[in-house]
Amino acid sequence: MAERATGRQSILIIGGGASGVVLAAHLLRDPDADIRVTLIEKREAFGQGVAYSTNLPDHVLNVSAFGMSAYADDPEHFFRWLVERGLAEPDNPQIYVPRSLYGEYLREILDRLNEQEKGTGRLHTLNEACQSVATTPSGVEVKLANGTSLVGHIAVLAVGHEEQAPPDHRGAIRPGSTEDTPLPADASVLVLGTGLSMIDLWLSLENRGHSGKIVALSRRGLLPAIHRRGKPIRLDAADVPLGTDLSYFIRWFRRLVRETEDAGGNWRDVVDGIRPFNQRIWQSWPSGAKRRFIEHTRAWWDIHRHRMPPVLHERVSRALAAGELELLPGKLESARKDGDGFTATIRPRHKQEAVTLKVARIYDCTGITTDLSTGSNPIVRSLIERGLARPDPLRIGLDVTPGCAIVNAEGAASTRLFAIGPLTRGTFFEIEAIPDIRTQCSALARRLTEKVA
Amino acid sequence: MLTKKGKYGLKALVHLSGMPVGQLAFVNDIAVANNIPKKFLDAILGELRNAGFVQSRKGKDGGYRLARPAAEIKIGHVVRVLDGPLAPIPCASRTQYQRCEDCDEATCQVRHMMLEVRQAVADVLDNRSLAAMRDADNDDVLQDIKYHI
Repeated sequence: MAERATGRQSILIIGGGASGVVLAAHLLRDPDADIRVTLIEKREAFGQGVAYSTNLPDHVLNVSAFGMSAYADDPEHFFRWLVERGLAEPDNPQIYVPRSLYGEYLREILDRLNEQEKGTGRLHTLNEACQSVATTPSGVEVKLANGTSLVGHIAVLAVGHEEQAPPDHRGAIRPGSTEDTPLPADASVLVLGTGLSMIDLWLSLENRGHSGKIVALSRRGLLPAIHRRGKPIRLDAADVPLGTDLSYFIRWFRRLVRETEDAGGNWRDVVDGIRPFNQRIWQSWPSGAKRRFIEHTRAWWDIHRHRMPPVLHERVSRALAAGELELLPGKLESARKDGDGFTATIRPRHKQEAVTLKVARIYDCTGITTDLSTGSNPIVRSLIERGLARPDPLRIGLDVTPGCAIVNAEGAASTRLFAIGPLTRGTFFEIEAIPDIRTQCSALARRLTEKVA
Repeated sequence: MLTKKGKYGLKALVHLSGMPVGQLAFVNDIAVANNIPKKFLDAILGELRNAGFVQSRKGKDGGYRLARPAAEIKIGHVVRVLDGPLAPIPCASRTQYQRCEDCDEATCQVRHMMLEVRQAVADVLDNRSLAAMRDADNDDVLQDIKYHI
């Protein structure tokens, strides 16, 4: 409590990607909050993380400009930024801009914060990898790769997406990782996953002039649906069934889609209209419903929820028709190292006989996170090993409270350790996109700064 | 607001939440103890089963029990299953909207106010668990007893 006597609450944010920067921005929004924020990032650039470090113009945001403001209470912030730079027309907020621009936007927010906080000592940024975090009697201690450590009152994990393929996808690598070295243009490639990450990879390969066959494999082989402008239906929480079994909910959802279509609308209007309640619905479900959703419904939900712009869909359709890209419903049974590449054994869906495929490389675009305790992130692993954290019941992230507090091995919520972003998906379900992350960051910032006041 | 169906359903759930964990209750016992017509109760419990709040076993020793702990069942969630969207009047619902014959919904101030009311109703009912409702009742009884002593 001695540190509290100085009045200044010290908050260490581990991870300076999109969610880390957005949290810092919300923490510093109140000029009177007596805090000290330290943003720690292992990469050279802040505000990029995995999603926004791409330079490919074809890699566009899949949320329109209005959804992408870093500030929950100022949804037009990003759009204004675009207009000021002549990158968007004032009368067209429904644009999907390249992701690299978004990285630039976040970097500028951080630059501006640094400028604004010069002399106040409220913001510090540090380029260093973190190795572990632990609680101490008076706060937290973060050990850095350079051998030094930082102490503070509160640590927030904003480490984003797992950067390595899960161990059961043996031999597969994640696009953009260090193992992702240039391939011969005619190399045949197997991609695990048929969602938007696969599309991203296909775009990168196509952009490099890749001519080899690309086979994309997933259990059902479903491609993301197309974006169309619509009119999301209006719902209140009082309309939405909560806490029910999955089958009951799905019956309700299907009926609502039917009614909306009968009234001249479209399924997209329901999928988008229900979005404000997604987290509440997820949190209300019994664990059995959550498990069944992940197992059976998620693939179907994802392709309707995370859609492609029409122009992109057209390009993908052409590649499919030309046979450059193939969607294969099925399961990877094994991948055997074979010379420079792999021989993959695949069992196509609803078929008894397996097929083999010789490929130069296997990419993992499944987005599936396997058990965090065996993941590649040393901080998360060290927290779990020490019993300071535990995986959530579905083992898709860390167990956190709806207030983002990390839950320890005994089930107690920490007052010093917090997590935001994809790590919290067990509790928050959809927590990958900015509209959800900024809401989460705004609420956490409010709670953390309230403690100070 | 709350229909008879909703009220009976909640009473039946309170009854089930008072059973020893895992033990089944006979429909007849629930009906008699709570003064609910048995046929109506059968239908209500069937709907609660479809929504995943209770489990049943058929046969001579058959009956109902809660599908999960009473602390995890929220009153508002049950009411939505039995009575539909929380709405003080039929026009104040977005999914099961029923137009009033006698007014224009765009300018109706009453509807406007009732849309706000349903928010408040959801805020209360979605934050009260079946266990809390059951125990609140007991507290009142205890207080009564204390008072009489």
